[in-house]
Amino acid sequence: MSAAATPKLDLTAPQVVRKISQRSLIIGGLFGALSLVLAFIRPDEFYRAYLLGFMCWLGVALGSMAIVMIRHLTGGGWGTVIRRILGAAMRTLPLLAILFIPVFFGIRHLYIWAQPLSNIEDKHLREHLEQITQTYLTVNGFIIRAIFYFAVWNVLSFLLSKWSKETDRPNAPDNSGRFKAVSGPGLILYGFTISFAAIDWVMSLDPSWISTIFGLIILIGEVLSAMCFAIVVERILFDYKPMSEMLKPDFVHDHGKWMLAFIMVWAYFNFSQWLIIWAGNLPAEITFYLRRLSGGWGSIGLILVLFHFAIPFAMLLSRSFKRNIRKLVWVAVWLMLMRYVDLFWIIEPNFSKTLTVTVADIVVPVAIGGIWLWYFFRNLAALPLLPAYDPDAHEVLEPAHH
Amino acid sequence: MKREPIYGIMAEFDSATALVDAAKLTHQAGYQKIDAYSPFPIEGLAEEIGFHHDEVPLVVLIGGIIGGLTGYLMQYWMSVVDYPLNIGGKPPHSWPAFIVITFEMTILFAGISAVFGMLALNGLPMPYHPVFNVPRFALASKDRFFLIVFSSDKKYDPAGTRDFLAGLGPRSISEVPS
Repeated sequence: MSAAATPKLDLTAPQVVRKISQRSLIIGGLFGALSLVLAFIRPDEFYRAYLLGFMCWLGVALGSMAIVMIRHLTGGGWGTVIRRILGAAMRTLPLLAILFIPVFFGIRHLYIWAQPLSNIEDKHLREHLEQITQTYLTVNGFIIRAIFYFAVWNVLSFLLSKWSKETDRPNAPDNSGRFKAVSGPGLILYGFTISFAAIDWVMSLDPSWISTIFGLIILIGEVLSAMCFAIVVERILFDYKPMSEMLKPDFVHDHGKWMLAFIMVWAYFNFSQWLIIWAGNLPAEITFYLRRLSGGWGSIGLILVLFHFAIPFAMLLSRSFKRNIRKLVWVAVWLMLMRYVDLFWIIEPNFSKTLTVTVADIVVPVAIGGIWLWYFFRNLAALPLLPAYDPDAHEVLEPAHH
Repeated sequence: MKREPIYGIMAEFDSATALVDAAKLTHQAGYQKIDAYSPFPIEGLAEEIGFHHDEVPLVVLIGGIIGGLTGYLMQYWMSVVDYPLNIGGKPPHSWPAFIVITFEMTILFAGISAVFGMLALNGLPMPYHPVFNVPRFALASKDRFFLIVFSSDKKYDPAGTRDFLAGLGPRSISEVPS
């Protein structure tokens, strides 16, 4: 059709992708073996760390799917250029569904509501749980809902990937209408499923505490992780063809703007939760912050305010900084680390009144990350880095202007 | 300041591409004080005429900081100094409650600074501008593209600059009276 329909650029992923995939598997295997040992000698610590690591990497996959869907609805070269990176992350969802199975085994280690209620000393909590464990928080319900969430996510990911693959070949159908039809409802479904998943998997660790914005806090963290991850991967690929030809400063600028926006929304949601709970000062709600601001946990909270929000926010205000992938990538790496710290601060204080970092807290997330990255880079190598016959491909393949 | 009788020399082009190319060559030839006019924004044109300085972000930043400080100090003064009230048993200086207004004031001041800073740095409002002395310049808001070399440029010389611009293949060349 147009010149863009016959790309001269070889769009296959560079060899380095396979190399990283293998190395990730080695790290995943080594740390995985260590994790298995920990699972037997320190099961309680293992399962906490497992949930933490799982939520970290699930966030990258689900956030990537959300950004892909946003791109299908809005268009724009910024999204086309990282589409296949996000797509490869999204296609790890079957692996993540399998990786969730250990949580089922750890359910009694993790969740107080899954244990015999007669063991609970706190009378108020016991009475509260007597009601809710009859209706919502049941072990069977937990499992069935988890299967449902993963089914929804995998169906969305499957459809989006299938139609994307079709546009790698000449004479491809124009799938943009189908993408839009799935992405609109898909984003709404994602909003609901991740909210419920956040309630089931994380908020129910403290079943007496409720926050209506909690699902959104998890959601925005996931999209932020995904954007940061895409920036890191595009930086790695930028040293090789074809990404070195495709990635223009304008696109990097847009990625930086997304990052800035997601950081601000993250801060906004977290501050909203804090302001409302602080102002209300109700016994049922304030416990969340009392616990997380004392016993050493407060210092982690302060780290989050400064290094998850204030400093990255100030750095990303600069236009030239956002346009330079070589600089931007370091903020992206930093924020991925902060995502881990944020989830650590949300999950771990449920189990300990004073700040404690166990060996498992480090080893298990690295193990899950290694296995996840192996699968991600394998996915990335499987398809060209751009669907060449997609109607939007020309935005990336053509030179910037004239 | 001594006013030159001639403001500059202006060349008229038919297309955006021609203008961008001409601007590039003129800038490369060593002309510093040049400007370009087009009916719509052209990506990359500002870079070609050597326009780099952009003080608006700094104005916005300063505006935002002033706004944030104003918002916070205003609330501090009201709640702590002027009229302390006991709200839910919280101390008068309860900073979490101040953040929302502080944030809003930051945005408000930053936004206003952006608009007025942009206008001021552009020298607007400007009731008189010499380029309108050239009758054909009216087409700049329709379908023509103009490049001007100001007479204040170091390299400017009436005949030489005119010949140089003529070499870029413009549709017309005019001298702009001050």
